[in-house]
Amino acid sequence: MKKLLVILMILVAWASASEVYFDSRFTLWKDATVYIWTLDGNSPVNANEFCLSLRRNNTGIGEPKCRELGEWERDTVATRYGSWLSNNLEKGLPSSYLRARHPGMAAKIQALEDNIVLLLIPQGKFIQVAIFDETAQEPKAAGIVKANNDKVALSDDIAATFFDKRTKRRLTKEERLKKQTEPDDLYKEVPNLKVWAGVGIGYSQAHFPLTPDNWTSSHTKSRVKNYRVTKDSVSLWNFIEDSDAFLSLYAGLTWHGFIGVEFMYRYSNRDMKTDKSDTVYRELDHWNFGQHDIGLNALLSMTYPITPWLDITPLFFLGFQYTFYVEDIGLKNEKQEPSRAYKYRIKFEDLYKGALIGVGGQFVFKKHYGIDLRTGVSSRGRDLYVAPSPDAGAAPTTIGKSTIDCFVSLGFEYHWTL
Amino acid sequence: MLMGCADSYHWTASHPSYHKAPYGGIAVTGIENAFVITRSNWFAKRLEISTDSIQIKGTEHCRKTFETELRKAYGNLIVLPDTANSKFPEESLKLDERIFIKGHIPEQGVTLKDSAGNVPPIVLILHEFIIGTDLKRENFFDYALIHNESGSIRKPDNVSAIFSYTLWDNLKQRPLFSAVDEIQQPITTYKLKDLTNLIQIAIQKIRKNLYEGVVK
Repeated sequence: MKKLLVILMILVAWASASEVYFDSRFTLWKDATVYIWTLDGNSPVNANEFCLSLRRNNTGIGEPKCRELGEWERDTVATRYGSWLSNNLEKGLPSSYLRARHPGMAAKIQALEDNIVLLLIPQGKFIQVAIFDETAQEPKAAGIVKANNDKVALSDDIAATFFDKRTKRRLTKEERLKKQTEPDDLYKEVPNLKVWAGVGIGYSQAHFPLTPDNWTSSHTKSRVKNYRVTKDSVSLWNFIEDSDAFLSLYAGLTWHGFIGVEFMYRYSNRDMKTDKSDTVYRELDHWNFGQHDIGLNALLSMTYPITPWLDITPLFFLGFQYTFYVEDIGLKNEKQEPSRAYKYRIKFEDLYKGALIGVGGQFVFKKHYGIDLRTGVSSRGRDLYVAPSPDAGAAPTTIGKSTIDCFVSLGFEYHWTL
Repeated sequence: MLMGCADSYHWTASHPSYHKAPYGGIAVTGIENAFVITRSNWFAKRLEISTDSIQIKGTEHCRKTFETELRKAYGNLIVLPDTANSKFPEESLKLDERIFIKGHIPEQGVTLKDSAGNVPPIVLILHEFIIGTDLKRENFFDYALIHNESGSIRKPDNVSAIFSYTLWDNLKQRPLFSAVDEIQQPITTYKLKDLTNLIQIAIQKIRKNLYEGVVK
């Protein structure tokens, strides 16, 4: 098996004699100017033929210009570096080890502007190839191709191995200058104070996704009999609808892009879970509660500029909320006098206090228009700061003292900085 | 934070092509000017050399010892004059994010030659060899700490040597291995033989590092 692999590898190597050691994606310009640099002046390819090879192998290259780079060939510093490179060009050696150290050589490479230098060094059966552009003091691409006395075939081989990439339009002198002085689009100072206001819609439910149904079924399946009777009254979800849409209004601010506060208001309308089989409800037209949550969140966030027109701010929030319920109940028109059970129906606490915790993200487009996604858990319960009374044991259980649900929301925001 | 970084220094750097430590023969350069003795008065008093000539005589002693010891380690030693290498511009070699060696390194494409015109394949370039008391190499080579001044002069605990060197592939003109080493030699009574011993330890350390730095 191993032998077969070796034979296969040899075959592969033989079939494609050219080998790219590294190619860090140099920019190939349309209508490129390629300087062919050789150490001894005997170029293994003909400059004009090489240009034709480029056009044959890369249809996007336009009308390239090629010439031999006599200035470097006659220069001692360049020749020393070239022969050094030939000595050091090894497969697997990172390009950073091939940097031109001599300041004179570095200056020459930097002065190339958008011209490409193609170094060709014959080494027996192979020709070492290295490509330079102005952006780095080391070769941008290097490798070997098989030596060939047929200069056209050799040109084609080099063109196909190193110049078969997409081309870019060359910039004019003015465009280059402008590009150099252009500000960085992503440069941004963190504002001292960022403010936002938004409206949102969301959905909350008592059952947590991905958890077993029986964890919450005692609440969610509960029905109210005789206007007040349930199996359990620890959670408000035993009485009112436990999964519903809500509307939210909120406004917040962030200091130094990191810590913030947010005020929020949520409204949802929840139907009573009446037991339809109970005949006492025949008199009833509707019975529901408006749920009002007012809360304050502390936020921790970090803003990442993704593109010039989009910032993403992941955030974590922790807060508290007060919830009160406004009852809306009505009898059918023909019914004049309500039943005794109606008069003694269930009453909720005046106010529930709870906590919120969750994560989210703000996607701010064009610095002002935000979309906000949140998910979290909220609770409602009795006020924890009530002083314990000696009658606590005898007191009736507080209705809804442990009302927990989870939520997701989508908000539309407007952002501005102060 | 600075303290947190302190133990994560890399004091050596190997070229990916450094596969074989030098054996049998080596050339050395830089030893004429690399040695520096700080706290001249302290050394002058103990080595019984006058303060005026401690630099000249002390470093000359170090150079000779270094050469002798290196000859013992590598039988075939070629000593190249400093000028063979010091004519090239001074450059910095990166060992670590914060550690840079400064030294003269031959130009790419130019080989070092001995007086007979032979090209030694491997050259040990000694950049610096600082001898003093209670020195720490990070104070010399970490650019963030080089402005730290040593505290008030107190009774020193150790004689220190801090030295940087590069093993140079003279045929392919590339740095095979570079390092900054530190030696602390406890002081009892300090005599010339202790200085000789310091250089001997340094040579052992260099040889050990050259072996350990080989890329397998």
